[in-house]
Amino acid sequence: MQFWPMVGGLAKGLGTTTSIFCLTLLFSLPLGLLVALGRMSKFGALRQAMRLYISVMRGTPLMLQLFFFYFGPYYIFNLNLGKLGFWGLDYRFVAVVLGFSLNYAAYFAEIYRAGIESIPVGQREAGKILGFSRAQTFFRIVLPQVVKRILPPVTNEVITLVKDTSLAFALSVMEMFTIAKMEAAAHTTMVPFMVAGLFYYVFNFAVAAAMEWFEKRLDYYA
Amino acid sequence: MKSLLRFALAGLLLAGLCAGCGRKAAAPAAADGQKTFTVGFDADFPPYGFKDGNEYKGFDLDLARAVCAAKGWAFVPKPINWDAKDMELDSGSIDCIWNGFTMQGREDAYEWTPAYVDNSQVVLVAAGSAISAFADLAGKTVAVQTDTPVQKALQGEDEDNAAAGELGRTFKQLTVTATYNNAVMELESGAVDAVAMDIGVAKRKMADKPGAFKMLDEIVMTETYGIGFKKGNAELRDEVWAAYRALLTDGTVDKLAAEYGIDGVIE
Amino acid sequence: MSAIPPDEMLVVEAVRKSFGGTQVLRDISFSVRRGEVFGIIGPSGSGKSTLLRCITQLERVSGGKIRVCGETMVSDAPDGTARYAPPAALRRMGLKIGLVFQNFNLFPHFSVLRNLTEAQIHVLKRPKDEATERALGLLKRMGLESKAGAYPCQLSGGQQQRVGIARALALQPEVLCFDEPTSALDPELTGEVLKVIRDLAERKMTMVVVTHEMDFARELADRILFMDGGVVVESGTADEVISRPKHSRTQSFLGRLRR
Repeated sequence: MQFWPMVGGLAKGLGTTTSIFCLTLLFSLPLGLLVALGRMSKFGALRQAMRLYISVMRGTPLMLQLFFFYFGPYYIFNLNLGKLGFWGLDYRFVAVVLGFSLNYAAYFAEIYRAGIESIPVGQREAGKILGFSRAQTFFRIVLPQVVKRILPPVTNEVITLVKDTSLAFALSVMEMFTIAKMEAAAHTTMVPFMVAGLFYYVFNFAVAAAMEWFEKRLDYYA
Repeated sequence: MKSLLRFALAGLLLAGLCAGCGRKAAAPAAADGQKTFTVGFDADFPPYGFKDGNEYKGFDLDLARAVCAAKGWAFVPKPINWDAKDMELDSGSIDCIWNGFTMQGREDAYEWTPAYVDNSQVVLVAAGSAISAFADLAGKTVAVQTDTPVQKALQGEDEDNAAAGELGRTFKQLTVTATYNNAVMELESGAVDAVAMDIGVAKRKMADKPGAFKMLDEIVMTETYGIGFKKGNAELRDEVWAAYRALLTDGTVDKLAAEYGIDGVIE
Repeated sequence: MSAIPPDEMLVVEAVRKSFGGTQVLRDISFSVRRGEVFGIIGPSGSGKSTLLRCITQLERVSGGKIRVCGETMVSDAPDGTARYAPPAALRRMGLKIGLVFQNFNLFPHFSVLRNLTEAQIHVLKRPKDEATERALGLLKRMGLESKAGAYPCQLSGGQQQRVGIARALALQPEVLCFDEPTSALDPELTGEVLKVIRDLAERKMTMVVVTHEMDFARELADRILFMDGGVVVESGTADEVISRPKHSRTQSFLGRLRR
C-alpha cells in the first residue's frame, strides 16, 4: 500500500465529511430554533406536532432515518432515484444532509428550549415594559443570553455530529470513514482506520477549540 | 456579539457553498444524451471491486468498464452499502449488481445473467493454526460476511448444501461480520479461528499478507457468480450479456482473470 | 374629549382581577395627578404588586376601567368582560408608564450604557447620538457616569437599581411606577436609591410607588393607599393614613411594622 495516496483519498473524504458537517449545522441550528418555538407555542396543535417530531427523531435510529429519506421517494412515490438530483447534487448527498439536519434539529430544539426556559421571566417583562415587540424582545434580549447558556451542550452535539457523519456510509456517500473502510479492505490493513481516527480527532480538536473561543468571547458577563 | 454571529454564519455558508460546488463538479458526467450504466458494488470486496488510489478497480469493474466502452455507455461505478443493495437496485439508484455476486440462494430475486465465474467457498485460518481440515473446526469460532450464501448454508438454511449446514453445526459459534475485511481482521486478531469466504477473495488476502494465512484444502460449497439486474429488466441484462460474450471471445476476460488471479472463469 | 381634567395622569376605577377562581383585586379605585407621588402600602399578598402589573400591562384585568393620560386603556364591555384598546393604542399608553422592578431586571449582556440606549434606538427610533447623550446625562444624574461601560454584574445592588431607574427614565415616561424598589437591597444600599427617588419627586415626576419603607412613604408620598386582601382599606394623605390611621387593619399593619 502506498501511504500518501491513501492519506490523499482520506483527505478527500474529509472534504465530504466537512461538507456534511457544515451543511447540517447550517440547516439544523435555525430549524431547531423554529422547532423549539413551536414546541413552546400557545397553539396546542403545533405544540403536539413538534413534540411528535422530536419524539420520532430522537426515538428512531439515525441510520434508519437516512434510509427513509434516501429510499423514501422511491418506495413512497415510485420516483426513480437514478434520475433524482437537486442542482446537480447527488441525491444521496442531499438525503444525508436532509436526514442529519432534521435529526439534529430535534436535539438542538430541546437544547434551545432548555435555554429559553432558563431565562428569568423578568427579562421578557423588562423588554415589554420598555416597548420592545415580542420579536425584538426575543432576538435582542432573550436569544443572546440563551446562546451563552447553551454553548456547552451545543458543543457536545456538534462534536457528536462530526463522528456521526460516518453514518453516511449507509447511503454510500464517500465520506472519510467509508473510504477508510474501502482502503482497509483493498490492502488488508488497519492503517487507514488509524489515519481516519487521527483526522477525526484533529477535526474535533479544532471544533472544541473554536467553541471554547466562542465561550470566552461571551465571558464578559455572568 | 452580532458581528460574531454574522462571522460564524458567513463561515458556515461559505463552507456549504464550497461543498456544493465541489459536489457539482464530481457529479457523474453524463454527456448530452449519453446512456449511463451504473454498476453497484461493494468496494470492500477485492479483487472483484475495490478502491485503488482515486479510482475503482477490480475484475468485475474492469469487465463492466469494457462492456461500457464497447456499447458507448458512460460507466458509473457506484460503491454501495451491501446491506442496502436491494433497495439501491429497486429504486433505480443502480442498474445492476456486478461484484462477485453469488447466484445460489437468491435465484428468484434478480434477473440473472448466466454464471460467468465458478467460485468455491473455502476456509481461511491463521498460518500457524492447528486447524488443517474441516474436522478441526469443531468447537471453533468461524466468521462469515453478512448476507452471503455461505452464511445461509453454514446456518443450515440452504437445502442444496446440506453438508455445509452439517459443518456449521459443529462450530462453537458463527460470527457474522459487516465486510470480508472485518472478518479477516477478526481472524488476524485471534477473535475468530477461521473465516469462510470466496476463494478469489481468500487468495487475494493471502497475497496481501504473505505468510499470515493458510487455506484449507476442503471446499464448503461451490457457487457461481452472475450479474444481477432488477426483476423485469431482462432487456438490459441481455444487452450486457451479449457484450460480455464478445469480451470472452476476444480474450479480454481471460486477460483480466489472469491479472486479478481469478481461477474459475466459465467458458 | 372626556370630562377628566388633563392633569389626571392615571385613573383606576373598580378594577378587578382573578387568577383562576381566586379574586386578588376587588373594586380598586384611585387616581394619580400630575407631579404627585402616590404610595401603595399593604402586607404581602395584599395584591399591590398585581395592581401595579395591571397598570403596566404585565397582567390583564378581569374587569373595571383604567385610563392613562385621558386615554382609555381598558373598560368594561357590556358582557362583563374587560375590553382593551387596540394594540397600537395599548403600546402608546404602555410607553407613557415606566416601571422599576424589585429585582432590577437589567439586561446582563448589555453594558450599562446600552441598557439605557437600546429601547431609545429600537423602540423610539432615536438617533444613536441623541440616545447616547440622553443616557449619559441620566447616568450623571444618578452619579454613575463612570459606569457607562460596565456590565450589570459588576455593579452593587444599589447601583443596579439606579441603572434600572435611569433605563426607565430614558424613555421619558409620563408616570414612573416602582415595585418595591429597595426590598431586594441590603439595608445600607437603600439610601442611595431613595435619594434618587427623592430627587425625582423634587423634579415633579409623577410616581406610583409600592413600598415597605414607611418612613420614606410618609416623607415623600402626597397620598397613600393601604391595601389588604385585594381591597382598598383606606386612602388619604400620607399623614392621615400613616400617622392617624382610621381603620383597625391599617393600625395593626403599621403596628407590626413598628415592632
